[in-house]
Amino acid sequence: MANSPERPAELPDFESPPLNEVVLGVQFNPPKGYRQINAGEVWGLFRSEFSRVEDREPLAPVFETFGLPARGTRFEMMTGPSHDRFWFLRPDGTELIQFQQDRLLHNWRKVESEESAYPRFERMMTRFSDELARLEEYVNGLASQSLLINQCEISYVNHIPFESSDEQKASDWFRFIDFGEHEPEDFSIGFREIIRDAGSQPQGRLICEFKIAITKTGKRVIVMTLTARGAPLSPTKESALEFLTKGRGLIVSRFADLTTDAAHAKWRRIK
Amino acid sequence: MSNEVLNYDSDVSSLRTSSPAGLKVLRYERRVLIDDVEALWDADITKKLQDFIKLEEGWDGYRAIPVSFTNAVFALRMLEKIWVPGAPAPAIVPGVQGDLQIEWHTAKGDIELHVLAPNVVHAWHAKVEDENPDGEERKLTTDFSIVADWVRDVSENHAGA
Repeated sequence: MANSPERPAELPDFESPPLNEVVLGVQFNPPKGYRQINAGEVWGLFRSEFSRVEDREPLAPVFETFGLPARGTRFEMMTGPSHDRFWFLRPDGTELIQFQQDRLLHNWRKVESEESAYPRFERMMTRFSDELARLEEYVNGLASQSLLINQCEISYVNHIPFESSDEQKASDWFRFIDFGEHEPEDFSIGFREIIRDAGSQPQGRLICEFKIAITKTGKRVIVMTLTARGAPLSPTKESALEFLTKGRGLIVSRFADLTTDAAHAKWRRIK
Repeated sequence: MSNEVLNYDSDVSSLRTSSPAGLKVLRYERRVLIDDVEALWDADITKKLQDFIKLEEGWDGYRAIPVSFTNAVFALRMLEKIWVPGAPAPAIVPGVQGDLQIEWHTAKGDIELHVLAPNVVHAWHAKVEDENPDGEERKLTTDFSIVADWVRDVSENHAGA
């Protein structure tokens, strides 16, 4: 496996960010010759490290498209041929690969033991790049083809404490929220920004979501999910990895922009 | 006309694993009211695409394949971005390679969109009164702003608005 690249010096950095889950992924045109019965062979590509398997509902294709401004409605989603999504998990459950006929995703997630620290983006990218190369080699063996990647996605999910007993307010954490004297019981906020390529053409979107949730232990948290999703400039693995790297930079910068100095102090900002 | 109660929808959370912490996200009701024209587009287009996905291999009597679900969803997301109030719904026909042809032919002009695959669309537009008989051709990926302008041009209802 190749050495992990260095973290860009200009990016904000935290010693103890409230990170709960990170997802790197690509969506591609279903490869010719692939059928559901081949899923076991795909698991075989990763099984030495990801020895557990679980079946999940398939994810529908997702595309960021551009044109007239969003009107809030979406045409009805169709149903299509159903190919299962599979989770290939490490024994400790901290990392998993999600695979279906048109997706490959790699998740890191915080587990209760908290013994496994976030491996950091560079290391995750190195692993994901290797997994993508293995899958590409496999589909090439099916019908002499490359993976044609049509969307890339990177998500950072943060869990931020929101306990009324601690008198924590949303404005303690976020620069753009101030409910004044009337702190709500809960809230859900979302906004999107267009990601542009070097020629200022729309390439994807940065999607920011904030929702109140309750953990298994009954604690209230603000789930802050930042996702960069869009089309690679070309449908290749290299171009997809470039988008994910760009998306990571946007997410980390926006995370620092949206959160307060007091929050940064709690999370031990070092850059 | 459209009465949108909430104009933000999320499909981000599906990639997450729902977290081993057993996270339960509080859900919010969403309600969207849409106007008749859009509903017509929606019903008409969705039904056609659904039918094309279900085509059997060799549906043309030879070796044609059905439209892929991926391509159909991409076409739907493209159409959402070029919907103009008052515009007629397009004609949609499947191609033998799983591709799609989406067309408008009105008294004011013609538009043809050939959706070869996600992010691969060949677009053509000709106005009836245009001096260029060959019309205008574009290769498009994810930005369909120009097609929305074309749809506005060929839409008789919109022209009279």
